[in-house]
Amino acid sequence: MKKLITFTLNGYEVSAEVESHRMLLEVLRDTFDFKGTKPGCGQGECGACTVLVDDVNVDSCLYPAFEIEGKSVTTIEGLIDEGNKLHPVQESFVAHGGIQCGFCSPGMIMSATALLRENPSPSDGEIKAGISGNLCRCTGYVQIVESIRDAAERLQENAG
Amino acid sequence: MTTKYSFIGTEAPRPDAPDKAAGKAVYIHDLVRPGMLFGKIKYSECAHARISHIDTSRAEKLPGVRAVLTGDNSPQVRYGFIKDNFVFKRDKVRQYRDEVAAVAATDPDIAAEAVDLIRVDYEEIPAVFDPEEALQGGAPLIHETDGRGKPKKDNLVPVPWRFVSGDVEKAKQESAYVAEDAFETQLIQQSCMGTAGCIAEFDLQSNLIMHTKTQIPFLAQNDFNQALSAMGLKGKNSRVIVPTLGGSFGTGLDTHGYEFIAILLAYKTGRPVKIVLDREEEFITLSPRQPTRSRILQGCDKDGKLTFREIHMILDNGAYTSWGATTPSVMMLPISSIYRVPNVLYDTKIVYTNNTYCQAMRGYGNPQAAWALEGNLDHLAEEAGIDPYEFRMTNRNIPNDLTPMGLNITSCGHKECLESVAEKLRWKETRGQGRSAVDGKVRGVGMASLFHVGGSGRVYRSDGSGVIMKLDDFGNVSVIAGGVEMGQGFDAALSLASAEALGVTPDKVKVVTGDTATCPWDVGTHASRGAFTSCNAAIMAARKAREKVFQLAAEHFMPRIQFKEKRKQKKDPDYRMPDLDFERMLKPSDFDMRENVVFLKDDPEAPLLHLRLEEILREAHYKEQGTMIVTEAFYDPCNQMLDMKTCRGNLSATYIFGVQGAEVEVDLETGKVRILRFAAAHDVGQVLNRQTIRGQIYGGVMTGIGYALCEEYKTDRGKNLNPNFLDYKILSAPDVDFPIDVDCIETHDEEGPFGAKGVGEPGLVPTAPAIANAVYDAIGVRIHSLPITPEKVLAALRGEKV
Amino acid sequence: MKKFDYHMPESLKEAYGLMEKQKGRARYIAGGTDVIVRVKQRAIEPEALISLRHISDLRGVHWNGGLRLGSMTILRDLERDEGTARDFKALHQAVRVLANPQVRNVATIGGNLANAAPSADCAPPLLVLGAKVEIDGPGGGRVVPLEAFFTGPGQTCLDGTEVIKSVIVPGVEKGTGTAFLKDGRVSQDIALINAAALVVMEGGVCKACRLAAGAVAPVPLRLKETEKAIEGREITPDVLEEIKGLAEKEVSPITDVRTTAEYRRIMSGVLIKRAVEQAARAAG
Repeated sequence: MKKLITFTLNGYEVSAEVESHRMLLEVLRDTFDFKGTKPGCGQGECGACTVLVDDVNVDSCLYPAFEIEGKSVTTIEGLIDEGNKLHPVQESFVAHGGIQCGFCSPGMIMSATALLRENPSPSDGEIKAGISGNLCRCTGYVQIVESIRDAAERLQENAG
Repeated sequence: MTTKYSFIGTEAPRPDAPDKAAGKAVYIHDLVRPGMLFGKIKYSECAHARISHIDTSRAEKLPGVRAVLTGDNSPQVRYGFIKDNFVFKRDKVRQYRDEVAAVAATDPDIAAEAVDLIRVDYEEIPAVFDPEEALQGGAPLIHETDGRGKPKKDNLVPVPWRFVSGDVEKAKQESAYVAEDAFETQLIQQSCMGTAGCIAEFDLQSNLIMHTKTQIPFLAQNDFNQALSAMGLKGKNSRVIVPTLGGSFGTGLDTHGYEFIAILLAYKTGRPVKIVLDREEEFITLSPRQPTRSRILQGCDKDGKLTFREIHMILDNGAYTSWGATTPSVMMLPISSIYRVPNVLYDTKIVYTNNTYCQAMRGYGNPQAAWALEGNLDHLAEEAGIDPYEFRMTNRNIPNDLTPMGLNITSCGHKECLESVAEKLRWKETRGQGRSAVDGKVRGVGMASLFHVGGSGRVYRSDGSGVIMKLDDFGNVSVIAGGVEMGQGFDAALSLASAEALGVTPDKVKVVTGDTATCPWDVGTHASRGAFTSCNAAIMAARKAREKVFQLAAEHFMPRIQFKEKRKQKKDPDYRMPDLDFERMLKPSDFDMRENVVFLKDDPEAPLLHLRLEEILREAHYKEQGTMIVTEAFYDPCNQMLDMKTCRGNLSATYIFGVQGAEVEVDLETGKVRILRFAAAHDVGQVLNRQTIRGQIYGGVMTGIGYALCEEYKTDRGKNLNPNFLDYKILSAPDVDFPIDVDCIETHDEEGPFGAKGVGEPGLVPTAPAIANAVYDAIGVRIHSLPITPEKVLAALRGEKV
Repeated sequence: MKKFDYHMPESLKEAYGLMEKQKGRARYIAGGTDVIVRVKQRAIEPEALISLRHISDLRGVHWNGGLRLGSMTILRDLERDEGTARDFKALHQAVRVLANPQVRNVATIGGNLANAAPSADCAPPLLVLGAKVEIDGPGGGRVVPLEAFFTGPGQTCLDGTEVIKSVIVPGVEKGTGTAFLKDGRVSQDIALINAAALVVMEGGVCKACRLAAGAVAPVPLRLKETEKAIEGREITPDVLEEIKGLAEKEVSPITDVRTTAEYRRIMSGVLIKRAVEQAARAAG
């Protein structure tokens, strides 16, 4: 079965006809060609496909495409500002070695963004809990936690 | 020490990070080629069986299917380290992951559906899953013939490794103390976040263009060219293009069945064919780290000086042979040479079984060797009544030492590493102090050392790495290298080293890799060699480029300065041109360059007498019979291949040392091991990039902790039971609830680029034994098999042997 | 993965109508974090999924002395609910460690129960809290105690057309303390074992006790024999050791790829003991 769904994608209203068995991940990558969101495990274990739906982080590989109707989706591409300007969370990951192979990075950054939106000055324990649904094999997480700590400061400076 | 370098040793962000942060890096998953089809593979449903019939008729009829291949309708392509593997199995399957058939279709769903429609009839035959059973007479033969077609009598992989030095038996008799243990390591999976995949396509001359996730683009090119020959395309060429890699950790050290299948499908259909593994396929059909069984004895004299070391090891090879069969050549390094020991015996049997075949993983055998060595060393120290730290210190490696294997140890920071870890763990106060339980919990500290190649490892006829340096009119420098960035920070290290060596700023450097058609040859990115060899090549290429720059400077510096001065005068009639001694700027040797500026070597601060690099390059370019600068260099280290008979040779141009230590808490009721503090001290020669080197060590330590405590690729009669992250547990962020101290000891190696040694793999080598030794300190019982699960700890506490 | 249709009814009536039409071939789906995984793994192959997310009757958290949780209450919302954190600590603790933030942002309390994994983290706390399940279906509604709801691994008393309408958690009396504990191979894991305890303390004596453990039997299990050993007694170290032994005897775990039956048995004793200790401390 197919259906026309309409939702907000990175700030723009979009529509597409999608099949009922598709997940949001496939719609983002294949229909709208936003390939920053990564397919990691397909089972909600690794978090590589994390996006924001109405500002909360979800695994797009388990999110039925039909359910996205009327919602607002932000992908890693949606964090980038005009003039190729990285979002403060992205900047922090670059500055602090939070990225190695980079495959987990889009999902990790989306989870960090969701965390900092809800909790602007998290403790290290809260940071780790906030990214507990995102696996990384390269970094040992140390510099990812450092990145998010720095991102919290950057965001607060921007807000202040 | 104040640094003499502008960029080396700084905390510079990685050049590849912004694109990755933005989601713009293109991994194989993201790559689309026009007209692309999607391939899917049908795998064996038995561990050991004759194939009696394959029915592909229903798959062929499915709309959207463009090709269905089996061994019956495709050329026989052999692959693997000793060519004992075939792309499609015709006669029999030897493991669950054996490729039996494959489909190319217009859509991944159709390809998957078509694969489901293929019916294979099997006739099961007896299988063997235990390497020791496989060695016994009467065990089912996995391979009836070897790669050359000669009948095989047993299940031994014909890659024997045996090293002997001195007289072990005599030394054993004369030793004051001897400790003997049996150790085991488990199968583990590399767990790259980005799964493997490729896109194969042919041009109209039948040359192959292969986008693939590999660490060895040039050796892969060789393998693919051999496949082309087998397909009747002798003389045709493969161009290997490497996309951004979502981790690799050794998975990319061999060419794989899926790659050859994509090639066959692409040739058959005349269209690009993409195969990307899903997570379950990644677990089931890639090759994990070899499991080992070791029997080890070490002895010492009454003062605690090591007298001998004897290790017998059995490796479960699985059904086919990859480069992983050469891991004993690396195991041999610490076995022969870590801590000074005169008499050594090491032999190993690599055994075919019906299990999944194994491959290299970060550390290349060294973690398995360290697990046995370092656990047994603690045991021996206890027998001798000597503190394990003091025992290690007594036997530590020293600089400028030739080991019995012929390894030429030059720089060596083993002592400093031991001291660093002992200090971080407050060894003297904590060791042996935590055994009385508080709230049902006991504490302990332990340490272990590592010894690994630090100056590449010569496992192939050439151990070289090429670099091309191309300078343009704007002072930009393309550093075109044959190495591969797979997350480890290759580009970051190479851009800093190139900038430093050439005398430009890192922002001017663009590292270009991953295309065999444009990049210079490189044996591959393995053995922690990427930065070591490529940075050395970059230094050589930079030296040539600087010579050329200075030759051009000799020609153009003075006229350009004069021109600029005259222009100033024209603009401002009052301007007085200073009196310049142009005699000082006529010879190439008059010049130096740093941070994009060419200046007088003898008078760097001389006013007016400096030009930006691009000014000189443009002067040289835009004139009649102009010129531009491109240089190249090929660095092949001064190391040796092992003599296969004696297993001797200086495998690496330099060696790396390290010590890791842990303080742990063991819950006596639950058996759970909790790490309270971790210390890692590594002799890195020289830090190239302070940010990425920390990342390498942290990442290694975490993978090492997973190896130590929770990771296990579980099988039942050859079938994987946990092909997903739900049940194959790697650590997540909340597991890192302890401080990790990283100490980079700089010993400034003479052969290393700016003194640096390789650091890619070692972070995980001694982690597991360090933790096990700490657990022993806490509970007084030694765990002999990995991983150290709570179940095993409780069993050990009950007095069972684990 | 088999393709499936996807329906998003806005009322129970509409949902039942869809289910009637495709009886035996369709399944309800809530947050989907279990169902979609099982569809992908081909553990189930429904022709249609009927989403319960858009049915307003299934939503909302209501306080009336106790707690009435619409079955589509998202776990993350429960995690943030201060009343739950205050009055039903064990449930709150369970929700906080259930899977990961991405899963909790879509998974629902009803889904966690209807999925009926023996390891479901919400089950033990709800069992000790004496929760009831309000079931509704084309043939009408009924309320069953949670204990009677689970019938086997992945199996419940729902007849395939019925849905969980709400989960009713009665209020707790004064002097009640609860606790939840979970054991995994790593911090992020499905429970190898989980356990919850509720004790009502009066004058230093345990007046009432309810214990439950997960992943130790085909269904999340009440440990009634062990409970009896505590009731009417002071919770001393000796009593705690005694209940550890009793709990080990009362469970019947299996060996699987995650751990052994033996370890599960040991850990159910340890976790029950520690949960009782914590619950007693929480009771004050």
